[in-house]
Amino acid sequence: MTYAMTDSAVPKSRTKKQSLLKQIMTMPAGAILLVFATLQIVCIVGALAYPDDFRYLSPQNLTILMKAIPVLGCLALGAGILMIAGEFDLSVGSVYTLTAVLMASLVDGGMSAFIAAPLGILLGVMIGLLNGTITLRLGLPSFIVTLGGLLFWRGAVLLYNGAVQVRFDPEPAFSSLFAGTLLGINAAFIWIVLFVVGFYLLLHRHKFGNHVFATGGNPAAATAIGINTDRVKLVAFAIAGGMAAVAGIIATARVGSVQPGQGAGLELQAIAACVIGGLSLRGGRGSIIGIFLGVMLIHTITDVLLLLRAPGFYLDMFIATLIVIAAAFNHLIERRGTA
Amino acid sequence: MSAPNLLELHNISKSFGALTALRDLSFHIGSSEVVGLLGDNGAGKSTTVNLISGIYKPTSGYLSVDGEKTLFTCRSDSADAGIETIYQNTALVDSLSITRNIFMGRERTDAFGFLKQVEMRDIAMEVLEKAVHISGIDSPDKLVGDLSGGQKQAVAIARAVFFKRRVLLLDEPTSALSVRETEALLAQVLKLKAEGVSSVLVTHNLYHAYQVCDRFVIMSHGTKVFDVNKADTTISQLTEYVVLT
Repeated sequence: MTYAMTDSAVPKSRTKKQSLLKQIMTMPAGAILLVFATLQIVCIVGALAYPDDFRYLSPQNLTILMKAIPVLGCLALGAGILMIAGEFDLSVGSVYTLTAVLMASLVDGGMSAFIAAPLGILLGVMIGLLNGTITLRLGLPSFIVTLGGLLFWRGAVLLYNGAVQVRFDPEPAFSSLFAGTLLGINAAFIWIVLFVVGFYLLLHRHKFGNHVFATGGNPAAATAIGINTDRVKLVAFAIAGGMAAVAGIIATARVGSVQPGQGAGLELQAIAACVIGGLSLRGGRGSIIGIFLGVMLIHTITDVLLLLRAPGFYLDMFIATLIVIAAAFNHLIERRGTA
Repeated sequence: MSAPNLLELHNISKSFGALTALRDLSFHIGSSEVVGLLGDNGAGKSTTVNLISGIYKPTSGYLSVDGEKTLFTCRSDSADAGIETIYQNTALVDSLSITRNIFMGRERTDAFGFLKQVEMRDIAMEVLEKAVHISGIDSPDKLVGDLSGGQKQAVAIARAVFFKRRVLLLDEPTSALSVRETEALLAQVLKLKAEGVSSVLVTHNLYHAYQVCDRFVIMSHGTKVFDVNKADTTISQLTEYVVLT
């Protein structure tokens, strides 16, 4: 390395800078982090320059953002861990509604929300296990099985409840736990941060996470080394179902009611957040930070477009473009990795 | 002949429905021995490998380890017996680091199942430096997907060496390797033999097998047709057996 020292300092620092950028780009969530940070800087600068026209930093707007992120965040964390294990769950949007309706009507019938909410999560976990069992036992693509789940549970909500809104009126302690504020920060946002930390520890620091990556990345290798891939996938299905129910609880506590049609399309947004966050559709690749950044990016863009008073369809087109770019980028990284 | 063989197969048969993949197959693997398991495609080599590594159960017959009769019912049974299979398309996960691959399924964890990352990384570093000599791997944090075929195989072997395996089953180890990598791998097999690790080279490349093996077991149509020490045979005789039987 000594001869490099004799060179002028300029090329040396340039190569160092390049390698830093390259390092960031090759990190699991590096690219999305870069995009997210850039967008934040642009938004903050814009908000400071035009505080009256672009109210990005206004307390109201930040509160809206903090309230919006946790619901999609919970769905995406669950669906994401399953995607890394190599399977899909398209039913999370319907499960989200179903478990919320169950919880709300139980509370309506006089049950404490502190009992009804865990029951909702239990139902979500059970549906996840059912999806997993059907997928793994019959050797079917989870895409199809959970597409069935999406339609079936959406229908079940209407059968059980009809197309009417269900009021959710829990005890105040429950409301403040999920929809209150702590030190000015929205409780739901604190929950999602806790979930992100928990999922990070599970996926990146725990042996189970290693098995999830192995199962999704090379199922044959995982089996050969003695990992029970079916069990890993089954647990991931259960997590996806359970987190869908958690999302339902958080959303319902915030709004105070459940609309039977509210979950439609959320499963696709959750998968979109995962793809934007760097998860591979073929499994084995991704990170919790990436998923969370993907969720935040979707909501930041939504928010910015709303602040700019753009028509709603702009939003869909924006997200759509972002997904395809992200998928293309991931594909590029994957091809480099397997070359 | 006083010490029992590391592994013996006794009259093993294996059928899948109407198809008989193995018929009355018997052979053994001694200690510090490199055995070439040869045969044309469809001779039953892969079935044999899967059977020894515990993925298949024999329809009849049995195995013995150190002279004791046993039966492998799952992958970990064969691992407990000290047998490690290194597959054609190496059983590694491309999207994980070398460290995580080496410890895959046998992670070092604390009481709560959380990974001891520093400890595993240090061990991986040491194994890569000492146990196997691979050019171009400077850090155990590298993703396996970024490695060449030979480097991947070396990581798989490093894993086997670290977990103190006594028998390496190498399933078509050279099929995806460059000439140089093949030489390095074969040298590695001999080095391990000197350290007391036996290897079974499952291959249809007679030349690679002839370079390192002490003994050859030739299979055809699911059974053994020839079992010979290197000193008692020639490569043309081996070729004849593989081709003509």
